[in-house]
Amino acid sequence: MHKVAMSDLLSGVRRGEVILELRGITKRFPGVVANDKIDFEMRAGEIHAILGENGAGKTTLMKILYGMIQPDEGEIYIRGRRVRFHSPQDAIRMGIGMVHQNRKLVNAHTVLENIILGHPHAGRILNRKRVRREVEALSRRYGFHIDLDAMVWQLSEGEKQIVEILKALYRGARILILDEPTSALAPPEAESLLSSVATMAEDELAIIPFITHKLPHVLARSHRVTVLRRGKVTARLETAGVTEHQLAREMVGRDVDFTVERPVVPRGRPVLQVENLSALSNRGFLALRGVSFTVHEGEIFGIAGVSGNGQHELAEVLAGLRRPVGGRVHFDGRDITHASALERWRLGIGYIPAERNAVGSIADFSLVENVAMNYYFDDRFVRRGIVDYRHLANLTRDIIAEYEVATPGLEAKAGHLSGGNLQKLILARVLARHPRLIIANLPTQGLDVGATEFVQRQLLTAKKSGAAILLISEDLDEVLALSDVVAPIYEGQFMGLVPALELERGHIGAMMAGVRPGGRSA
Amino acid sequence: MTLGVYELKLTRRAGLGGRQAARISSLAILMALALFSVLFILADVSPWSAYVEIARYAFFNTFGLPLTISRFIFLLLCTFAFIIPYRAGLWNIGMTGQLYMGSLAAFGVALALGAKQGRMVHPALATTLLVGAAMVGGAAYAAVAGFLRGRFNINEIVVTMIMNFSAFWLVSFMIKEGGPFTGGGGEGEGFPLPKAFVGPLVAGVPYTFLIALVLAGVLSFLLNKTRLGYEIRAFGKNPVAAQYAGISPFRISMIVFLIGGALAGLAGYHYFAAVPGVYRIPKNYGYFGDLAFYGIICGLISLGNPLAAIPVSFLFGGLSIGGRFVQGKFHMNFGVDYALLGVLMIVLVGFQFFYRYEIVWRKKE
Repeated sequence: MHKVAMSDLLSGVRRGEVILELRGITKRFPGVVANDKIDFEMRAGEIHAILGENGAGKTTLMKILYGMIQPDEGEIYIRGRRVRFHSPQDAIRMGIGMVHQNRKLVNAHTVLENIILGHPHAGRILNRKRVRREVEALSRRYGFHIDLDAMVWQLSEGEKQIVEILKALYRGARILILDEPTSALAPPEAESLLSSVATMAEDELAIIPFITHKLPHVLARSHRVTVLRRGKVTARLETAGVTEHQLAREMVGRDVDFTVERPVVPRGRPVLQVENLSALSNRGFLALRGVSFTVHEGEIFGIAGVSGNGQHELAEVLAGLRRPVGGRVHFDGRDITHASALERWRLGIGYIPAERNAVGSIADFSLVENVAMNYYFDDRFVRRGIVDYRHLANLTRDIIAEYEVATPGLEAKAGHLSGGNLQKLILARVLARHPRLIIANLPTQGLDVGATEFVQRQLLTAKKSGAAILLISEDLDEVLALSDVVAPIYEGQFMGLVPALELERGHIGAMMAGVRPGGRSA
Repeated sequence: MTLGVYELKLTRRAGLGGRQAARISSLAILMALALFSVLFILADVSPWSAYVEIARYAFFNTFGLPLTISRFIFLLLCTFAFIIPYRAGLWNIGMTGQLYMGSLAAFGVALALGAKQGRMVHPALATTLLVGAAMVGGAAYAAVAGFLRGRFNINEIVVTMIMNFSAFWLVSFMIKEGGPFTGGGGEGEGFPLPKAFVGPLVAGVPYTFLIALVLAGVLSFLLNKTRLGYEIRAFGKNPVAAQYAGISPFRISMIVFLIGGALAGLAGYHYFAAVPGVYRIPKNYGYFGDLAFYGIICGLISLGNPLAAIPVSFLFGGLSIGGRFVQGKFHMNFGVDYALLGVLMIVLVGFQFFYRYEIVWRKKE
């Protein structure tokens, strides 16, 4: 291929000009057509979102655009000129930048060093001062506030994303791909990111956010939307005049009910009683500072808070995976403060961890073996130390059918499932134990609209059958929609316990930010 | 890359089946033999006739084959000793020390039963006691590494490696002149076992042959069908997820090292108490300690599969015997056995690259 510098191709673009075009992109994987004759076009100065559920083919399309994989059929044009990407290097040269959802930064390096890393000029002599000046100018222009000398590990998710964006821009990207840009961000961070992105669009950059959820963000900022479903483009819409319901219907292929029906269940006996519980974080500081609460049968106790305020430590202590440094935990009246994780599973506590891949599943194991994670100790599935894999295969088959887990088969590896399908599998595996207490940590994080609705409905069904549920979520809407009692958590403490009937959005939001009821600040 | 009209591309494998792994290993072995030919040529020996001699002696000769089988059993047991911790994600580099300690325990029991004084003991009882002692000795020694890893997260590779040296010198102390196990002949070797204490032969080969083969099946069953095997594999693939599921890291690391150590102890018992013509801790016990390291290589090549370990250990055992033989036959001035194993090992490890990647080629458009 003839190598063309990107400046040749993308210099002097005019607003509204078509700068990127995909024609008939098709990519097949064994057993599935991930992209089926996809057409797509981008204009300069446009934010053109690509929407789709997990498994709709977004990731494949994104990888093709960024040169990570090559399409089986179809062509890519940049300003009308046919291009071929053999690797991300080619795509970068053509002015395409990518902001990954799983950040690809070096944690032990500073922000500036990360921005320099991999830059075409980094191999030669580098003028740090000049780079700093230029990066600072970029930050100012787009309203990013970031300390270039901070270490990456000190940054929040939102700040890391900013580093990725700056890195791409500094390399000269004119077309920016954002993978789930707002999914890991707290509401204020998301707002400021979206306004920065809008400024970029005014500078004739073309921006392609790939999104599965947080539809309001799509509506608020993008100009056009292309919706994918099962590898095909199902809709191409101007955002103005489209409703959230319409988008969801295009994505899922049916009507989606955003308001979940909250069943009325009489509150039963107390199941979980927590007194003055404290725990350290991995870094050794007091992350959980003396929380007390009770969860009853048929009750959903929601803990709302921005990540890093002690809720994950709380979940781990309750699951028996982290030792508390103070306080007591009673389950069904029995002291389980020092019980092991296995004892808790046996007693009827089911834990759905936030990290689906790192904690909740074993990527190299088959689906049956992953289901076995919660049954290998269960007398119904183990006789004389021998695991009844046939019985487990039946259970797995039932789960796949009932929860509509999209998979080529029972022996597929869990690592090949999409996020939503993996979460369904984990949830189903835990719920099939009929636990008395369910600890659900960020159960719908990163899930598409359809899967989110499904998971929420399953939790409500469990509640109806009398389970006590501890729901930890960053999504205020979710907590408000599902919980009977909400405890906003801030710096390891509850800012209050608010019964469902008195719930008010702004009120809880303020408490998540550390304001106690009555105006006192924590 | 392009080659004429063909385009070569390196792609990451989605998964690896047993058959593909076997094919890659076979290719690697051929490649290693081809590379080693250079050494034969440099020594003025025709590679073809050298390999023919190696194979003929190791696998088809009435003197060579029993030696190969004894080596094979030894290597297979060492491979098992590596595989079990390996499947739990832990590295047992201490088969050497464990087999020494197992041997010391077995010979200690023999001594206590009066083997040196020629006291009569029922052979079945003696054999059972010696095997038991060897396994307990190896297991106890390995348990130190398992404990330190499980309780304090201390690196098991370092611990097992260091403990190899302690065990080596302990054996030396025990069997040299003045040591409690000395043969007394002034030759620096351990006392010979009387007939009642030596492992019986079955069809001319040590009975440990049967134990090793049965163990391959037992361990395979353990790993694939039992609850413990599930826990070991889960812990090996993702220790964090395993803990989430209630699997105790301490318990797993203790168990796998106890099993691994017991198997290594059994390997020591096999070579020193059941192989005809040995029946003592020999002066050159260090040679067998070194050989035990090939258990690591065999374990890696067989991808931690106890059944796949059988052909791999057999091949390595045969090449080490055949290599030593052609070295003498052609008057070569270097250790063909270890040199050959070494080349084989490096090439096999290099070929592991193809476990993760494959080369796809197609005609250019």
